[in-house]
Amino acid sequence: MQRPTRPIKRRRRVYVRRKVCRFCADKNLVMDYKDVDLIRHFITEHGKILPRRITGTCAKHQRKLTTAIKNARIMALVPFTSDHALERGPARR
Amino acid sequence: MKLRHYETLYLLHPDLNDEEREALSLKFQQIITDDKGEIVKIDPWPLKKLAYRVQKQTQGWYVVMEYAAPGSTIQELTRNMRLDERVMKFVTIKKDDVFDPAVLEEARREAAEKAEEEAAGAAQGAETSTDAVSDESSVSDEAEVKE
Repeated sequence: MQRPTRPIKRRRRVYVRRKVCRFCADKNLVMDYKDVDLIRHFITEHGKILPRRITGTCAKHQRKLTTAIKNARIMALVPFTSDHALERGPARR
Repeated sequence: MKLRHYETLYLLHPDLNDEEREALSLKFQQIITDDKGEIVKIDPWPLKKLAYRVQKQTQGWYVVMEYAAPGSTIQELTRNMRLDERVMKFVTIKKDDVFDPAVLEEARREAAEKAEEEAAGAAQGAETSTDAVSDESSVSDEAEVKE
């Protein structure tokens, strides 16, 4: 029995631009829990912390970032979730 | 006593007026200086909208307080902030394990410059507030971790 002919699998290469850690690239960029505009780049609209694979942050800086985001949440600078936020984020699932 | 470099951000009730906030700020500064700590910088923010409701309030006054103090002072400071109902939230972070007096000098110089600027041209609006002591020397180069 012959195996069904399968189209030759050609690996389609999608070139993803290599993401670089923003904190490594820019040494002047300081991690600061008070810097809301900076932190907004690293959380979703729901307020969740974005993973490294999305943002490209290196492990070292991601660790610092996590604590920074958590401190910002505690101080009501960014919301824990969009549910209780004053500025309504996307609707609840 | 060994001094460490700390920073405390606290959030005050929006109904407080200028004098009350100033008095509170002085009270906290007193706690630090009483323990032979040094104030580096006090930075009160304008009334800011909160990300979520805190004690049913939607706004609040943030104050950044940067200082050098021995570890035991932090306990005293936190105790006071917890007791005071006007303080809605606060967080203290350790900026550095040792306090570098050069930081203090720089902050003082910058504060003096700023005061001078304000005195010179009060008419000039939006002044740029450069972060005084933001250099964290602990951030080293070998951060790259291969994936």
